[in-house]
Amino acid sequence: MSSGQTVLRATALVKRYRRTLAVAGVDLSVDPGERVGLLGPNGAGKTTTLMMLLGVVRPDEGVVEIAGHTLPAERSRAMAHVGFAAGYLPLPERLRVREFLTLFAKLYGLAHPGPAVEEALDRFGIAHLAANMGNELSSGQRTLVGIVKATLHRPRLLILDEPTASLDPDVAHKVRAGLARICAEDDTALLVTSHNMTEVERLCQRVVFLSGGRVVADGSPDEVAAFFGRDDLEGVFLHLAETEGERAR
Amino acid sequence: MSATSSTSWLRVRTVARRHAYVLQRAPQRWFDVVFWPVVDAILFGSLGVYFSRTSGTGPKGVAFLLAGIILFHVVFQAEISLATGFMEETWSRNLLNLMVTPLTEFEFVAGVALFGLAKLLMGVGTVSIVALALFAFRITDVGIALIPIIAILLIVGWSIGLVVIGIILRVGQGAEILAWGLIALIMPLSGVFYPVTALPGLLQPLAAILPTTHAFAAARDVVAGHALPWDQLALAAIGSVITAVLAAAFVTRMLRVFRSRGFISRHT
Repeated sequence: MSSGQTVLRATALVKRYRRTLAVAGVDLSVDPGERVGLLGPNGAGKTTTLMMLLGVVRPDEGVVEIAGHTLPAERSRAMAHVGFAAGYLPLPERLRVREFLTLFAKLYGLAHPGPAVEEALDRFGIAHLAANMGNELSSGQRTLVGIVKATLHRPRLLILDEPTASLDPDVAHKVRAGLARICAEDDTALLVTSHNMTEVERLCQRVVFLSGGRVVADGSPDEVAAFFGRDDLEGVFLHLAETEGERAR
Repeated sequence: MSATSSTSWLRVRTVARRHAYVLQRAPQRWFDVVFWPVVDAILFGSLGVYFSRTSGTGPKGVAFLLAGIILFHVVFQAEISLATGFMEETWSRNLLNLMVTPLTEFEFVAGVALFGLAKLLMGVGTVSIVALALFAFRITDVGIALIPIIAILLIVGWSIGLVVIGIILRVGQGAEILAWGLIALIMPLSGVFYPVTALPGLLQPLAAILPTTHAFAAARDVVAGHALPWDQLALAAIGSVITAVLAAAFVTRMLRVFRSRGFISRHT
């Protein structure tokens, strides 16, 4: 894939926190329509990498480019092409769901976001929640609203951090189907982190495993499992978690 | 949020709208714009009446205190609306959501300050109406000289708000008390109700470098019926610009530290 088509390109990312080397030279690129899982045990550097990709944490070394815009100088322009949701983020209090979505749609540049909000709510089957206050929702419903928020402006890159962690299996299935549809229809690239390896195998065409702040595997789920001599991604995850634990000791 | 791309008026208005929802649905926020202004107007108006009777200063004593508290509310409302506007995003853990949108730091501050102007009008309007209704003191009688004084106090209020935001970015939510603490420190040092010569000698040099001190000194002269003291006003204006530049540099530096050290993890 040529660099002109790549939605996300991160090169040689390094991040140190005092004496800890959190990310030690990560290279990552994601192409349009590609669904990529960023995986690894706790402490592997996933969250720090995600935060650097989003421009929230500044790398000590390396470059992040999104839709042709380099961070941090062109962060605002780059973020216009990115949607982000995290399973752990609550909705702001004192806002109804429709108000929350409308405000964020405007922050993403939609001057008249009404139709986009209704369409996005319908896409994930939660139109009935539009008038609810954020603090009246269950954790699963809040997660769904967060994902709707991330897709309102039809981003070129969708970054989701543990998106289905608090969802029931049937709702998680709907979310995966909705995400796959968005990626197929709009050629949206998806970068997702999850500790649910079965979910990742179902949703992602490619997985990138981090361990000790480095990329240790990059390929299709089957290729990565075979590379480590395991049956599936869960086996790879457990193997890397054990390695990470030994390193910590 | 970044400060480098072109400003979007839509995003500024959206931030202001978001904070209008907060005021609309958070009854405790009305304390700042209604309750304290009413309490302050009654307290300082009554003190003025008492002192004017006992010292024989007449209505001027009441006017000094009421003009002082009304103008102090300009600084207070500007500062508190900016600082609590930012704090609201940390309380509702919305900071990360905002930081991954195209919203720039300037647009965020502009949006919060824009809605802060509406709160300021409500707060200062409340003090002024109570002062008129209960003590027959009409702040508008002071004349158009008030306009540059209010502009200077507004700039200083926003600057203090930026400093508070910078400290919260650096040390976390434990610093929130400074939103009320810093302004409480500024009030006595600025000689809101008295000339700085009334302060202990040790504090007078500190008071002299505050732009608010010169703004309130100018206001007292005008309330006393004298011409606007341009020298005091010029000192206040220069001081407020320097304060604003330093505050902007400070919050920018603190934001860089925030991004560099990954302090977003404190707010997720």
